[in-house]
Amino acid sequence: MADLSQRLFGVDFQSPVLLASGTCGYGEEYADLIPLERIGGLVTKAVSLEPRPGNPPHRVAETPGGMINAIGLQNVGLDRFRSEKLPWLSENLHDARVLINVVGHSVDDFGAVVSGLDGEEGFLGFEINVSCPNVADGTMFGTDKRALSDLVTRLRSLTERPLVVKLTPNVPDIDAYARICEEAGADGLSAINTFPGMLIDVERRRPVLGNVSGGVSGPAILPMGVFLTWRAAAAVSIPVIGIGGIRSGDDALQYILAGASLVQIGTALFVDPAAPVQVQEDIEGYLRRHGVERLSDLVGALSLPENLPERG
Amino acid sequence: MRAPARSWARVLGNRVVARDTRWIELECPDVAAAASPGQFVMMGTGLSDVAAPFLPRPFSIGARDGDGRLGFLVREFGAGTRRLTRVEPGDELLILGPLGRPFHLSPDRAVLCLAGGVGLAPFLFVSAEARHEGCEVRIVYGERSGDRVFDLGLVREIAGVDPELRTDDGSLGARGLVIDDLDLGDRPQLLACGPDPMLRACVRLATEHDLPLQVSVEEHMGCGVGTCQGCVVLSATGEWIKSCTEGPVFDATELTWQT
Repeated sequence: MADLSQRLFGVDFQSPVLLASGTCGYGEEYADLIPLERIGGLVTKAVSLEPRPGNPPHRVAETPGGMINAIGLQNVGLDRFRSEKLPWLSENLHDARVLINVVGHSVDDFGAVVSGLDGEEGFLGFEINVSCPNVADGTMFGTDKRALSDLVTRLRSLTERPLVVKLTPNVPDIDAYARICEEAGADGLSAINTFPGMLIDVERRRPVLGNVSGGVSGPAILPMGVFLTWRAAAAVSIPVIGIGGIRSGDDALQYILAGASLVQIGTALFVDPAAPVQVQEDIEGYLRRHGVERLSDLVGALSLPENLPERG
Repeated sequence: MRAPARSWARVLGNRVVARDTRWIELECPDVAAAASPGQFVMMGTGLSDVAAPFLPRPFSIGARDGDGRLGFLVREFGAGTRRLTRVEPGDELLILGPLGRPFHLSPDRAVLCLAGGVGLAPFLFVSAEARHEGCEVRIVYGERSGDRVFDLGLVREIAGVDPELRTDDGSLGARGLVIDDLDLGDRPQLLACGPDPMLRACVRLATEHDLPLQVSVEEHMGCGVGTCQGCVVLSATGEWIKSCTEGPVFDATELTWQT
């Protein structure tokens, strides 16, 4: 049987398929519908230092080939995550790997969450959400090279657990941001977060989302995600987790050939909770069909045209 | 409550019951066996193509029978619901359910259902089940105009009662709103489902007459199972709470009502 496992961050992932942050809650919500212990793992909903109330509705809407959301990072906050959510993960997930997604308004906020969870059990490492404003100057951590470097450097000093930075697609030079994270000590990258977008109800002449704008996800963003994963993976030697519009084994394999070691499935879960297992089985079928023994042999195994023109 | 299941359900029937509106029957034995009135399913076409509806849509369960059959009122509002109204017998739809909190009925009090538009759907199921338990049920059903009124023969067949009909323009039934000229002499428990202004009017009515009121709310939904937090409504204490898992049925006192 083909080997889907990947050894990364010092541990084995039994499959490359993880559930993306914000689409699988804290795991428990999908426990009846997804055999979590059979997949690679999951990334929790973002955890912030203080609870966040979230945005007014509408928070989600369908877009062509996907959806737009502006949840506003509603979450229970560090204390309740630690006391109410983490114990379930710790007790129920052993073969599936857990990354905790962390969000903050400041470097100190992020640091407090990472430090507050570092000594707990039930998870492997952290995924850092940098697609959020830094209250210090109003810019986004993920689009400000200095702020990003400072943030990752600080978090690196606070934990020895795997530290994965989730990159925003909203930059012209994702390779530079990828290198900054690597140089600051990140163990891995997730590429990519949602694209900023907006939807207007023309009858009412109002934005559809209560927050006016939101993040676009789903199959519509697959080619952008594959491209940005390819660029990020080429720029660094740390592993990349590919995300964006995956709904089939072929979609996942595009990311893997582009250089991703793992993938995350998000929006597709809402359409069909059977998607993660199906994607896994599709990848296994592909390995068998192509006589590939180990999935790791396919990571970045993309044949490019010779005399590749300069990328614009 | 039983855990929700994911299954492909075969379309058994699809008939026009009003303008832009279909009564769609699915073969879905697991959901049918587990469902309670007020619960809903997420209904979609799966991942194989991305045409609308890409995201599944929530629908209140309108009927179930002992043969594993479910019935839904599906009204065309946009491209996604248009495609769902076009399904044919033999097609398959991806169903997640049953989901959400059902209505809780007090056995010692008559039930008065206040329905606006497709908000009628859950009350067909409520009425069938509650009447079976020996409860007295009345349905007051409002639409904008007569051409939108569902096939009343079908309503009678499923719900077991004739609804009192109201239309905004008086083209069918009495002119007026569902809360107009109600006989509340038996001090019924009120159940309401419909557009927001109608629900707010029902809250005022219940408060004025000191009657218990449960509402079934509708908000854009992503996952239907509590993970995405897309479908929130404002609780009485000012927090955004999920209508998919904490609702869709709420006691009116659990929510904040902008008046």
